[in-house]
Amino acid sequence: MKEVMSNNSTTSISQARKAVEQLKMEACMDRVKVSQAAADLLAYCEAHVREDPLIIPVPASENPFREKKFFCTIL
Amino acid sequence: MCDQTFLVNVFGSCDKCFKQRALRPVFKKSQQLSYCSTCAEIMATEGLHENETLASLKSEAEKVQKKKAKRHCFVLHQVAERVEALGQFVMKTRRTLKGHGNKVLCMDWCKDKRRIVSSSQVCHEHAVTMPCTWVMACAYAPSGCAIACGGLDNKCSVYPLTFDKNENMAAKKKSVAMHTNYLSACSFTNSDMQILTASGDGTCALWDVESGQLLQSFHGHGADVLCLDLAPSETGNTFVSGGCDKKAMVWDMRSGQCVQAFETHESDINSVRYYPSGDAFASGSDDATCRLYDLRADREVAIYSKESIIFGASSVDFSLSGRLLFAGYNDYTINVWDVLKGSRVSILFGHENRVSTLRVSPDGTAFCSGSWDHTLRVRGMVFCFPVCERREDG
Repeated sequence: MKEVMSNNSTTSISQARKAVEQLKMEACMDRVKVSQAAADLLAYCEAHVREDPLIIPVPASENPFREKKFFCTIL
Repeated sequence: MCDQTFLVNVFGSCDKCFKQRALRPVFKKSQQLSYCSTCAEIMATEGLHENETLASLKSEAEKVQKKKAKRHCFVLHQVAERVEALGQFVMKTRRTLKGHGNKVLCMDWCKDKRRIVSSSQVCHEHAVTMPCTWVMACAYAPSGCAIACGGLDNKCSVYPLTFDKNENMAAKKKSVAMHTNYLSACSFTNSDMQILTASGDGTCALWDVESGQLLQSFHGHGADVLCLDLAPSETGNTFVSGGCDKKAMVWDMRSGQCVQAFETHESDINSVRYYPSGDAFASGSDDATCRLYDLRADREVAIYSKESIIFGASSVDFSLSGRLLFAGYNDYTINVWDVLKGSRVSILFGHENRVSTLRVSPDGTAFCSGSWDHTLRVRGMVFCFPVCERREDG
């Protein structure tokens, strides 16, 4: 996949300008402190871990994938 | 058609010269305006100071980039030190699905948690014959009534599902997306009406299913886009994409703008997946690592790697709570990572060729992995041994 690149310096400069504009816009965003962000991820995890069937296994009666006498139909 | 030079077809009055022209969005001092292509080119070169050359612009770009911390760090693992470690995992393969005659490339769960769509090499996709060799992407519609798939045919087609064996599913096929290179990933948005696609032509695109119209295109990747994932619905209209340019980019679906970019991987990013809260996402790459990026902190916060793992990660997904990260690798294994502590909790064997795709079921009770060994394996938890802690006396 190649763009049609002319050797026109105007095109290269306009591309470089677009890149700088994009980076400046990204640099402007309001950032949360990393320690706070990490703490929030932790909090979410701890709040939901009880409901996670792959960490706290559900009783066999409720597990849809327990061994049963039916099979998966491959459509 | 969506390709690198495609512009959104908005017609109207240019904000600068006021002539009726085809417009494109430009950003001046962070404000979005609509300029015709002539004015956009002029703006790109206007105000060029005497000394402003390509070189000076490039060095300015580098300076801005350096301000964003590019070094990876282990902040999350440090914060999570006090968290109880997970016990030893025992996972059991519940189902092994053998129906494909060839490498399984992609799979997706239906929201009813019971059905799976999967795609493979050589014309075969779930009893629908596709006129191309590699079907690299497939997705279930939220309603469960249709599936979308595509690959080397450069298109994404939607098939309404029918359980009537007499009906020919291929006859009702609708071509929705058209790219100029292979389709690597596709996903329905919150409804059956819109599809988001990622392509080897370096772009992502949003399409209307009914009309096949291109609604928005996303340009910015410097190479093939290999994967995408939509943000969980509560957090708004964004999605993340990963590509061969080693970048993961977060996009605003309405404006088509890239709002954040992350470039810490050392090779192609094969898979991206949002953390369940929507505030972070994980990526799996050919550099044999998986990384976690926090969107609000705008940086990488965790890395999941081991010296003994040297093969690329092809596919990643979180468990329901986000505590576990499942990653399928090209060395035929699946590693289960403790997201918070950064340690590997379990390594799962069973596949006889590289794991190409991996998804946790919508209710989180199981996960399915597809492989080049022609099978899909659905695995669930058996039980978890609690960790015994040794305490120092005194």
